[in-house]
Formats: sequence, C-alpha cells, structure tokens
Amino acid sequence: MTDIPAHLPHRYPFLLVDRVLEREPGRSVVAEKLVTNGEPYLQGHFEGRPIVPGVLLLEMLAQAGGFLEADSLHGAAIFLAAVQDARFKAPALPGDRLRLEVQAEGAFAGLLKIKGMVSCEGRELCTATLLVKRL
Amino acid sequence: MSDLKLRVKEMIIERLKLEGMAPEQILDDAPLFGDGLGLDSIDALELVLGIEQVFGVKIEDEAAGMKAFKSVQALTDFIAEHAKV
Repeated sequence: MTDIPAHLPHRYPFLLVDRVLEREPGRSVVAEKLVTNGEPYLQGHFEGRPIVPGVLLLEMLAQAGGFLEADSLHGAAIFLAAVQDARFKAPALPGDRLRLEVQAEGAFAGLLKIKGMVSCEGRELCTATLLVKRL
Repeated sequence: MSDLKLRVKEMIIERLKLEGMAPEQILDDAPLFGDGLGLDSIDALELVLGIEQVFGVKIEDEAAGMKAFKSVQALTDFIAEHAKV
C-alpha cells in the first residue's frame, strides 16, 4: 500500500509513514519510514549530528498503528492516551530504512493497546506499548 | 476471602502495578472506578486484557464492563458466571 495520505490525515512535515508492506486490520501492520537528511527536524536535532528524535519513533509507531483500522482515518478523532515501557536501544539516522511493526493487543471502550517495534536492517532501535483513544 | 476473589484482587494489583498494596486492602464492595480505587479508562483496558488472560473471560463491551467493574465482588461474580471451567 503506497497511498498513505488517503488513509492517514497527517501531512508534511508530520507524515511519518512512507509505505505499508503488510496489513491485517485489527491485528498487525508492517510499515516503513525512510529517513533522509531532508527531514526538517534533523536541522536542529542536532547541529552536525543528525539523530531522529526518540519521540518521533513513537509517533511513527502510532501512525503505523493507524493502519490497524480498516477505514480511512480522515475526520476521525484519535489521540495518544499512554506510552508504556518505551525503550530506545540505538539511534535512527539519515539513510535508515526504518521498519515499523505494530500489533493490536486489545481494545475496550474506544481505547486500543498497540505493541510496536522500530528496527533497521534487523537491529532493534525502539520498542514501546502505546494506547490510543478514539473519541 | 474466597479463592477466586483473592485471585481477582491479585490480578488487579499485578496488572495495574499497584505496588505495595495487599489484596486485603481492596474492599470487596468499594467501586473500582471513581471514588473507590480511583481507576481510569486506561486501567479498565488493562483489566479487560488481564481478565481475559488470567480467567479466560471476555468483557465484550462497555455495558458488560459497567456491570463487571462495579466492585471486586461484582467482578468476581461476573468471572464465576462466565468462566468455562
């Protein structure tokens, strides 16, 4: 799946998913984000030493999690409700092809629990559990 | 305290990371949400997942949750009623 903007309402500079490789709505998603030197946040994070901010890795997982929903999220009110057990093991750098893997752990009363991992060429960069709330 | 009720309280403590709390400190009839244990909607999701994992009982929707989460006693009764042993 390559028509990402048709599904997610996020736009430049905050659209952080480039491709969806595998997708089983309600269960799991595998997506990709390609990091380039052109990313606006790398200008200042940090001067002379570009590193993707850890919070943006969490946002990438949240956006990949948007593809767990079968329907387009345009017009949907969805917010991050909690971040649990986040671990950052290695930095993401320009040139990295980030693999975003998310799994649905369960849902109740509009809350969805997602387990996610960001990796690059088989190296684990970040793992976290996210809770998103749909109003 | 019945065996099942004790296990329910232990599951609540473990799942919600209520560290330092003992099962007997959770009153049978105190509401889990609001004034009692003061749990929120995120805790509710954790409990739903915990109940499914530990007791194999699914809380399908908010209506079932409203009934089950009234108190520890209500939750124990709900699990006893729906558990397939």
